[in-house]
Amino acid sequence: MSTPDVAVHPSDVITPTVKKHRGLLEEVWHNFRKNRLSLTGGVIVVMAIIIAVFAPLLAPYNPVEQFSAPLGQHHPLPPLSRSEEGTLFLLGSDKFGRDILSRAFYGCRTLLQLATGSITIAFALGVLMGGVAGYRKGSWVDELIMRIVDIMLSFPSLVLAIALVGAFGIGRTQIGPFSLSNMFKIAIVIAITYSPAFARVMRGVVLQETAEDYVDAAKMSGGSGWQILAGEIFVNTIPPLIVQASLNMATTVLTSASLSFLGLGLQPPRPSLGIMLNEARDYLFGGAWWYALVPGTFILLIILGFNLLGDGLRDSLDPRQARRTRL
Amino acid sequence: MGVYLFKRLMLAVPTLLGASVIIFLLIHIAPGDPVRVMLGPMDDPALRAKLVRQLGLDLPLHEQYLRWLGKALQGDLGISVTIQRGSPVLELLTQRYAITLELAFLSIIVALLIAVPAGITSALRQNRLSDHVSRIVAMVGVSVPNFFLGIMLILIIGVFLHQAWATGGFVPLKTSVRENLIRMLLPAVALGTAYSALLMRMLRSSMLDVMSQDYVRTARAMGIGWPSIIRQDVVKNALIPVTTVFGNSIGYLLGGSIVTETIFRLPGVGRLIIIGVDRRDYPVIQGIVLTIVLIRIVVNLSVDILYSVIDPRIRYGAEGE
Repeated sequence: MSTPDVAVHPSDVITPTVKKHRGLLEEVWHNFRKNRLSLTGGVIVVMAIIIAVFAPLLAPYNPVEQFSAPLGQHHPLPPLSRSEEGTLFLLGSDKFGRDILSRAFYGCRTLLQLATGSITIAFALGVLMGGVAGYRKGSWVDELIMRIVDIMLSFPSLVLAIALVGAFGIGRTQIGPFSLSNMFKIAIVIAITYSPAFARVMRGVVLQETAEDYVDAAKMSGGSGWQILAGEIFVNTIPPLIVQASLNMATTVLTSASLSFLGLGLQPPRPSLGIMLNEARDYLFGGAWWYALVPGTFILLIILGFNLLGDGLRDSLDPRQARRTRL
Repeated sequence: MGVYLFKRLMLAVPTLLGASVIIFLLIHIAPGDPVRVMLGPMDDPALRAKLVRQLGLDLPLHEQYLRWLGKALQGDLGISVTIQRGSPVLELLTQRYAITLELAFLSIIVALLIAVPAGITSALRQNRLSDHVSRIVAMVGVSVPNFFLGIMLILIIGVFLHQAWATGGFVPLKTSVRENLIRMLLPAVALGTAYSALLMRMLRSSMLDVMSQDYVRTARAMGIGWPSIIRQDVVKNALIPVTTVFGNSIGYLLGGSIVTETIFRLPGVGRLIIIGVDRRDYPVIQGIVLTIVLIRIVVNLSVDILYSVIDPRIRYGAEGE
């Protein structure tokens, strides 16, 4: 850039230029850090991930080990009570005398495994569909893919997930030569219901990007459609997709937990926060508040964390939009 | 108007048809023989032959679909296999839809009662303490799973405060309107809370948008007081974009009612689909999913049309394409 003819004091010029040269990541981090709510969301998510990854180290007991209740008492025992063997139930025990805190940690692990798996598959499916549709805008491929997306979006996601579980059946499923574990099957079911949302976002971004000069330049230098799509355009679609992924993580966690709660998701004895909440319903009238409160709070915090994080990321990546949508 | 209406209809019909193909295929993507799965231990040749004939499973796939669709268009959703053997699915659904739709309707009212005052106050007091508090409450409200909220309501009001009406169960409207509404209150709150938080967020940002418009500034400059600008211009205009969420809300509420009905033991459609999945009653599952998608598409279409009546720019935009 040429220097203006008029004599300008150096400090007037240098300060703004230095500010402008912040890289994308730095810029995002700078915006993100200012937003206290999204920072809180990030902290919650990181803590949930730590609990999930290190559940075997952090959990006081084996999540499926059953302890006996002391003489004259019966499970579920309230927080801070001890079993016959003398083990301390920090957050109480469940109906079989298992430690609720340990089960909640492991439940956090399975919930995040399931949600991350689902989002990854949904992301891949959606990016592929939306990328091709956007790049071949107006062609029959675009029309076909977007019709399918419209059709999928006409199902409420939980209803579609339940219908698919109903079709496949509960538990391990044999499809042709493949034997799908229950968890993998549920991940696919949830991924199917969420991939259209990714496809829509991806298509929109690709449309925006294909209008940019660098795509024309790549075309002129002889790149093939796939090369340009995968090599040039994809990089620029990552930020909006990450926002979408983070916001969708919240709803995916909710769908996964809802399915387990309804008895259609993960099956016992695998520790699952949704199943714990469902079991707790039978003990509400006995006053076993901790039985429901602990797993429910875990689910709530995980969803809240991803919602806050997603909101914050959206605002940091697109400050113009932020003014309109920030909450 | 006619052109717009026609265009919207032309988009809705193929979507509905496409959805019907997926719903029809549900029975066929099931691994193994669907008849054996449905009959389970009751599998005997006579019953089996009858069911195969009833479902048309001996026909080629496309003929099966056309037959199924033709019947569905005439209101024949097939016959329940395991839940109430021999009863038409439509009959099972109509009684239960009354409950589910009542729940959805009451949830919308609960949501509006919370969202409209909260959204308006929050926007008017932007960045003040009450705004921050209501935004944080709304964020928690969006994030709380309705099953957790429902269980906590039962625990606090039903168990700790000993209120029998708060523990779930259903009283038909015909028996007692008052008792029915009292029992529906907590389920409606459980289902409506997350929705109200969503509405509140929309309304707040929409109000802030309108308040920064030129005509509001002009009105201010003309010396019109804030209260009357808010009443006459801002709220009315801010509510227009919020109506669009109503279309999607019905899908959200019907999905959410599955969980809510389970917790509060309401014999609605949501409860029925869970029983259907559990007992492998495919015609019942298909009937429920088909009607939910139909309701959702019809509501969406009506909202879009209503929206284009309120805000003519939408209509002209679509016609000008």
